[in-house]
Amino acid sequence: MRSLFHLFSISCLAVALAWAQPLTVTEHTLSNGMQVLVHEDHDIPNVALQFFFRVGSRNERPGITGISHFFEHMMFNGAKKYGPKQFDIVMEKNGGSNNAYTTQDVTVYTDWLPRSALELVMEMEADRIENLSFDPTMIESERGVVSSERRSSVENDNFELLLEQLYAAAYTAHPYRWPVIGWASDIQSWTLADLENHFRMGYSPSNCVAVAVGDVSDMEIMALARKYLEAIPSHDPPPPVVVREPEQLADRRVVVRRAAQVPLKLFAYHVPASDHVDYWPLQVMGTVLADGRSSRLYRRLVDRSKRALYVSYWQRLSLDPGLLIFSLELKGGVDLEQAERAFLEELDRLQSGGISTRDLKKAKNMLLTGHLRELRTNSGKADLLGQYEIFFGGFRELFSMPQKLERVTTADVRRVAKRYLQAANRTVATLIPEAQEHREAIP
Amino acid sequence: MKTTFLGLAMTVWAAGQTNQVKLPPYAREVLPNGAVLCLLPKHDAPLLDLRAVIRGGAESDPAGLAGLSSVVAELLRHGTSTRTADQFAEELDQIGASFGTYVNAQRTAVSAEVLPEYAGRMIDLLADAVLRPTFPEPEVQKVLAQSIEASRSWKDSLRTAAWQYFRPFYFGPRHPYGRPLWGDELTLRRMARPLIADHHERMYVGANLTLIAVGNFETPEMRARLAQAFGQMPAGQAYQWVADSPVDRPKGPRLLLVDKPEATQTHFLIGFPGIHRTHPNRIAVWLVNNIFGGRFTSLLNQELRVNAGLTYGAYSSLNLNRLTGAIVISSFTATGTTAQAIDLALNVLKRFGRNRISAKQLASAKAYTKGSYAPENLQTAEQLAALLANLELFGLDREVIDDLYSRIDAVTLDQANAAVKKYFRADDLNFVLVGNASRIREAVRKYAPQMMEISIAEPGFELKDAKWQRTRPGRQR
Repeated sequence: MRSLFHLFSISCLAVALAWAQPLTVTEHTLSNGMQVLVHEDHDIPNVALQFFFRVGSRNERPGITGISHFFEHMMFNGAKKYGPKQFDIVMEKNGGSNNAYTTQDVTVYTDWLPRSALELVMEMEADRIENLSFDPTMIESERGVVSSERRSSVENDNFELLLEQLYAAAYTAHPYRWPVIGWASDIQSWTLADLENHFRMGYSPSNCVAVAVGDVSDMEIMALARKYLEAIPSHDPPPPVVVREPEQLADRRVVVRRAAQVPLKLFAYHVPASDHVDYWPLQVMGTVLADGRSSRLYRRLVDRSKRALYVSYWQRLSLDPGLLIFSLELKGGVDLEQAERAFLEELDRLQSGGISTRDLKKAKNMLLTGHLRELRTNSGKADLLGQYEIFFGGFRELFSMPQKLERVTTADVRRVAKRYLQAANRTVATLIPEAQEHREAIP
Repeated sequence: MKTTFLGLAMTVWAAGQTNQVKLPPYAREVLPNGAVLCLLPKHDAPLLDLRAVIRGGAESDPAGLAGLSSVVAELLRHGTSTRTADQFAEELDQIGASFGTYVNAQRTAVSAEVLPEYAGRMIDLLADAVLRPTFPEPEVQKVLAQSIEASRSWKDSLRTAAWQYFRPFYFGPRHPYGRPLWGDELTLRRMARPLIADHHERMYVGANLTLIAVGNFETPEMRARLAQAFGQMPAGQAYQWVADSPVDRPKGPRLLLVDKPEATQTHFLIGFPGIHRTHPNRIAVWLVNNIFGGRFTSLLNQELRVNAGLTYGAYSSLNLNRLTGAIVISSFTATGTTAQAIDLALNVLKRFGRNRISAKQLASAKAYTKGSYAPENLQTAEQLAALLANLELFGLDREVIDDLYSRIDAVTLDQANAAVKKYFRADDLNFVLVGNASRIREAVRKYAPQMMEISIAEPGFELKDAKWQRTRPGRQR
């Protein structure tokens, strides 16, 4: 076992961060390969504990899509020592609470607890990581829960429904084409064997980064980690995802018509993975275009032409090349083609004219403030440490983020705009509201 | 005028065995114009939280003009005597600030979060918005049109729609809470610039204002800046709160079915009488609601989600506002299992009211409530600012936080059971269901002899009086 000690400080940005305290993070690797990151913060008597497993929907295949997410639910349904329901009951009884989430690339388990519950939670986490059990009754009940989740978060949510269609159209080969929650028919067909295979594939301790932030000492955490987590045997990580999405040859388009009050439009462009050097130039570009009320798309579409209610952009963190997505929530009855033309004109303008140094400074301030907002809480810090470790080439990158952002130039922004905002690299998804007269039901 | 420091040493966080958390010390003073100033230095906070809180909120909207407070708040940034809307947006973004206005039942909060080095510029912008908006006619028209469209878009979400219908349905048309919080397409269409400017002039006065700063600053300097920027606000007349009164509607069971024919699931709310924010029993009610439906392992979620797999989540929430509100069960399920899920929820409620909760259940609720309090309320500048705003708004003392854990510990099993008996009753139930009516209408009729059905396509969220009278068993269209 090795234990490395690092001292980093967030500093150096032109806007002097007067508040910046040196942020101390210790890094350890247990003998079974599990990585442990610890940051002490004694502001409140609580701890955020997170376990990041490098497994998500990109490790699935057609027929079992959504299994990573389903598995995440099953992690709460009983292990060897703590049986069905016990994880949550014992957690809450001791003042803790928890959640979990699954993305295309990772599955993350998050606990928030008073420091007094730390040992107990470590023991429960070890129990389920090592000895998860699959009770057939719980599988069936949980299948119903996930179906409800899909119905509520996709089928009855126009935005998520359209986003699912967008990914399915933008990717042809890569697993990012299917939804994290899985296709409805796959949700109905997962088997016990699928779950067992997934556990064997994704849940080796060596495939996990554990992060603890809060009112604890590094020594306490490591003593507990050695006691409960280190004995869990390790095995092979998931097989590498070798599929590379082929270059898109022409623009793509998908249209959904359904009952709705307002139309939606999504524009997606293929961009590199999160650890690529273009990540921050793309963020600056997206911010200038679509973040804040002085952004170009807000001014053009919401403020001036009054065609849209909201504009936004985002780029999911991703291990493989992902999408930069712009979203327009439009007003009922607007000319959708005109809205699209106005959107594309703004992108053209950025490609041909670039951005000013004032735009650049503004975008950097907005991105920095957003970054600091995530660092306000123990769980926010734990999130970022885990995310940087997995998506940005190491947690240390978190501390050089301000410098990386500061280095972005107006030329970088114009370069990435020209490179990625190409018609042939674009997928447009449109939701068109159907007429809303009250339909008399057929008995 | 003097600045008093409340509280003890900054470092007293964990006090003794119970880990009682404390509100950090802060300075409070009243400016000559009546505005209350609260300054809480937090030197490890990466961002500074500044907020102006105006008492009144949706409660102060005149009858028929639901959403007026919300429109006024949105318009604050759309042109002032020194800046156009564009200039205001540009200056905010230049310093990377987030700026938002939030209206709830009893207040409007205008809040900003910013890098500490831009404190001066942010105070200037905040004061400009709060004190000197000019409500230019084209901006008024733009904001009204956007608000109308936004209120329509809420109908695209079953959950959002259900909660919008709930207030008018539960509280009735004459109660100040019986209107959509942020208005709807009907009430917003009645608004015009004179009404808006007048509302601002009346409500945005020193007597209604609380100013809060939490973050990395030196108190005397921050005090001077805020006092200078907001001291010039006219003192005005304090808003007179509406007195608490019983809801003005027929007693339940009653049911509102909102037809959204394309829905493949039903979102349901079941509301019954609860308490207000400063009710003396509030901690006991809070704890027993936690057991009933306030956390993942609550009886409701265990039954509907964990055991039956009928839903992704089933919860109950306490509406804690200035006036007595409701306790509301909320869940959703596939269209075909609507009645099954509602039956289960009602069984849980009836069993809860009939059986005594155990010492073990109460102990668990106490531990959970204490364990989650600090991360959710005392960690960030934003949380602390919101907490201070509520203390001022509801006239509460800092001891409600500093002694919270001992107050929680002091709730006895008998008191908890008395709270269950008193509040978790099934004799005045008010159901709001949003879903595919043709497929659930017959199955849900059994819950209430007073049933009303409307189409989600009907404009707005309020329910016309006439429709009330017509509602008797059977469908009305």
